[in-house]
Amino acid sequence: MSLEDLRLDAMRCTRCAYCKWIPFDLVKSWRFSKGCPSIEYGKFHSYSAGGRLITALSLMDGRSTVTEKVIDTVFKCTLCGQCDVSCKMCRYDLEPLADMRELRSTFVQDGHELPQLQPVLDGLRKEFNMLGQSKKQRGNWIADLQVKDLTKEKAKIVFHAGCRYSFDGELGHVARTAVKILQKAGVDFGIMGKQENCCGGHAYDMGYQKDFRTRADFNLKAWTEAGVDTVITPCSDCYFAFKRLYTAEAGSTIKVIHMVEFVDQLIKAGQLKFTKPVAMTVTYHDPCHLGRQGEEYVPWNGKEKKIFGQAVCYEPPRPRYNGAFGIYEPPRDVLKAIPGLELVEMERIKEAGWCCGAGGGASQAYPEFSRWTATERIEEAKSTGADAIVSACPWCERNFLDATSADGTKMKVLDIMELVEQAL
Amino acid sequence: MEISRDAYRAIEDIVGPDNVTDDPALLDSYAFEVMAETVRPNQSHFMPRPWATVLPGSTEEVQAVTKVCNKYKIKLKPLSTGWYHWAAPLTDNEPTVQFDLRRMNRILEIDEKNRFAIIEPYVIGAQLQAEVIKRGLNFAIIGAGSSCSVLAGACAYSGVGPGAFNMGGQAENLLGQEWVTPGGDIIRTGSLSSGCGWFCSEGPGPSLRAVTRGVLGSRGGLGTFTKCAIKLSHYPGPPIMEAQGRLPGYRMPIHENFRVYSIGAPDWDAWANCYHEIYDNRIGYIFHKQFGFAGANIAPAMWLTYIDPTKTMNDVETAVHDPELQEVFKEARISFQFVMAGNSTDDIQLQDKILDAILANTGCFKVKRYCEKDFAEFTNMYMQRMGHKHCNYMWVGGYMGSWMQWGTPDFVKGYAPAAVAAFDRDQKSHLLVECGGDALMGPGSALPGGGQTALEQFVSYDSADNASIKACIKHMEDAIVDSRAIGYPPGKESIYLQVGWDQERVFDAWAKMPQQFIFNFQRKIKAAFDPNNLGDRNYQWLPEDWAEKRKVETNKESHVGLGH
Repeated sequence: MSLEDLRLDAMRCTRCAYCKWIPFDLVKSWRFSKGCPSIEYGKFHSYSAGGRLITALSLMDGRSTVTEKVIDTVFKCTLCGQCDVSCKMCRYDLEPLADMRELRSTFVQDGHELPQLQPVLDGLRKEFNMLGQSKKQRGNWIADLQVKDLTKEKAKIVFHAGCRYSFDGELGHVARTAVKILQKAGVDFGIMGKQENCCGGHAYDMGYQKDFRTRADFNLKAWTEAGVDTVITPCSDCYFAFKRLYTAEAGSTIKVIHMVEFVDQLIKAGQLKFTKPVAMTVTYHDPCHLGRQGEEYVPWNGKEKKIFGQAVCYEPPRPRYNGAFGIYEPPRDVLKAIPGLELVEMERIKEAGWCCGAGGGASQAYPEFSRWTATERIEEAKSTGADAIVSACPWCERNFLDATSADGTKMKVLDIMELVEQAL
Repeated sequence: MEISRDAYRAIEDIVGPDNVTDDPALLDSYAFEVMAETVRPNQSHFMPRPWATVLPGSTEEVQAVTKVCNKYKIKLKPLSTGWYHWAAPLTDNEPTVQFDLRRMNRILEIDEKNRFAIIEPYVIGAQLQAEVIKRGLNFAIIGAGSSCSVLAGACAYSGVGPGAFNMGGQAENLLGQEWVTPGGDIIRTGSLSSGCGWFCSEGPGPSLRAVTRGVLGSRGGLGTFTKCAIKLSHYPGPPIMEAQGRLPGYRMPIHENFRVYSIGAPDWDAWANCYHEIYDNRIGYIFHKQFGFAGANIAPAMWLTYIDPTKTMNDVETAVHDPELQEVFKEARISFQFVMAGNSTDDIQLQDKILDAILANTGCFKVKRYCEKDFAEFTNMYMQRMGHKHCNYMWVGGYMGSWMQWGTPDFVKGYAPAAVAAFDRDQKSHLLVECGGDALMGPGSALPGGGQTALEQFVSYDSADNASIKACIKHMEDAIVDSRAIGYPPGKESIYLQVGWDQERVFDAWAKMPQQFIFNFQRKIKAAFDPNNLGDRNYQWLPEDWAEKRKVETNKESHVGLGH
């Protein structure tokens, strides 16, 4: 991969700035019309997806050089993918999100790295997790629950808690809740315990694709040895990594299910029944990696061809990831099934959801930017009158918890599994 | 080229270090503009690079930076949302500060009773519409779409679009404006200047609309507009535009007092007659020849593919040959979109009857497939919000509009067949998108109540392929010759090409024109408001005695284009 690979997209970008907004058809107010945290925070055009493509073109044409400011524009982005959705309102030939990832990777290859990410990467390489915690502590979240250890036993299904649920003490109970639900449903599953490894998705988004592959190879090998054919995770970042990146980059054929999908299936099959009302008004935040980036991976190895003289299409047809078919309804259906619970929607939802601010290495590299992004979302959640903002990803929840504690907001931050547990 | 450190520090002191940059890569994001490749050497996508970009946060900051520019003789070029090659600096190696006005993004007031909104430059059409329809009001989003600055369309260009027929264009609906002249003065126009508020453009106080807009809109060439008031109109629809369905073909249910049609015409005469009868009967809310821009030979296949989220561009190729779609191709060949809005059930039913009578009189008809529920709801969303306008670039990223001339439907039908034939001819090179010669698009009327329409030929080229870009340039040059051959002045292509000319060539061209008094008059305006010549030639003016000094002879066949 090199900058040159971005040339066609850069030259075909029209600087229309759709990448800065949610799809215009979905705009319901001035306040919540913006789509891209990066441009709203960084302000100069280079902080937009289109602006980064121009930067790439400028660099590859030798018109400019990489400066600290340029590195800042490339990395100060949560890779939430809103730009990708809005661009594809009108374009079939551009891939802004993929381009942003490749631009970062190219920068890392060329040594243009962020020093503030180095401790995170050191932790990943030594301790195999994104929080820099001791790998010996991994698996401690399970506490006294009795679950198969797939390093010693066999099962078709592995429950992957992920780094955040494994090491973030305030959130670990969500993983335990998920495990209890699986047990209650009679699922034969296990965990990798201390041998569970980071999915590598964060490293990939930070531009460190080699680190991602190391983690992916390790996990896939361990799962294969344990006889696993399905992974269930309550973490949306892991979900995206397994569902999209493992298949695309490592040839994985493992079936990937997010915990909310699984619970939704149990409810619809009549295997899970709620008995207790939860008197609460909540609003649901779509994690980027479960929502617009949660679409099914479709293998493709083709090339561009022209039709009608100059119009661009692909041979064979290129899969179109634009957020139209993300995982939006299962979490909502779960919430709607909980007695007494009222779901009120924010303006920017589903493919137009505003990011929590944690993705793309932003929370590690740019904590102020990351927290500002989360605070914007909390403000939107507050505008609905909800008691709580609910999500299905520990990275979103951690960022929201930090944002609410920083400004003294009383809004609760919950994972869907917590509400499910209350209703059982 | 670098801005002097003294000037940079002075600007930094005004806006703060986070709001100014001279990093070349960041500046290039302002030099890169659509269509640059049609006018720049070697088909570069970069216009001249500004020497610094500034993000002012207030009128006072704009004024203060403008004064710094005057002190150091630095050109200034404001942009709001920023689009088109003329939004960048026009001259190489010329010290220029680009204002990016994105921090000035507030809706300052919506006066429901007097029906106007006061806005800053970075308020876009989608934002303003979303806020005003909550109050039962609306305004005409310009043809360039809801991504564009409302203020720019009102103050610095002649923004019109599909809703202008009912609500008037933004330029016409401009009430007061606040303007920082290139000389650094703050001027308020209309009733605002006499302290009476923003309600009236014509005073009490000076109306400078014609002065600031000039012949074609100042387009950043005559200082910075920092606020404006835009007139709003009654909106009989629901308070929220609730999009449904999946991206990209979102749909909006059709309110009981609305109707959404696509109207086909058997020929250009019937098309013009239908327009005249719509004008005469004053029915309709949104009136635009929209979907045809994808080209008559492809458009139905493209749009019916577009509204299916599971499909890709490859499916368009298949759909073109679908036997079931051939009737749509036939019906939609010359067609336009027409949304009617009634204040009551009786009102909309009456409009329906009138439309049926017009169709019977003119031989026009409803395009059946386009009027089915799914497509009509898509049309409803598309035309009311104008949030899909960059489908212009759907084929391959390059689009240029040629031929556009304003006039009565009879005037426009006079050039439409020639525009079709010429584009058909140029597509035979295979270097432009072969969509059929009729890729014409334009508003039903730029004036409220009708009278003035236009059609723009949508020429699509691969902006990453020099051969395709050059084919587009050739089409632009040929269109000027082709239009002259049938007695019409050149269209938009002439304006676009001039963006790439050097100053002397531009002046020479203007000096040939029979209406050059306009440019001489605008010289006096420029002298009054831009004494240090810090604006660029987007505000069109001619140096004194230029024609005599350069021995340029007036040529009655020379025109500035666009029919102005």
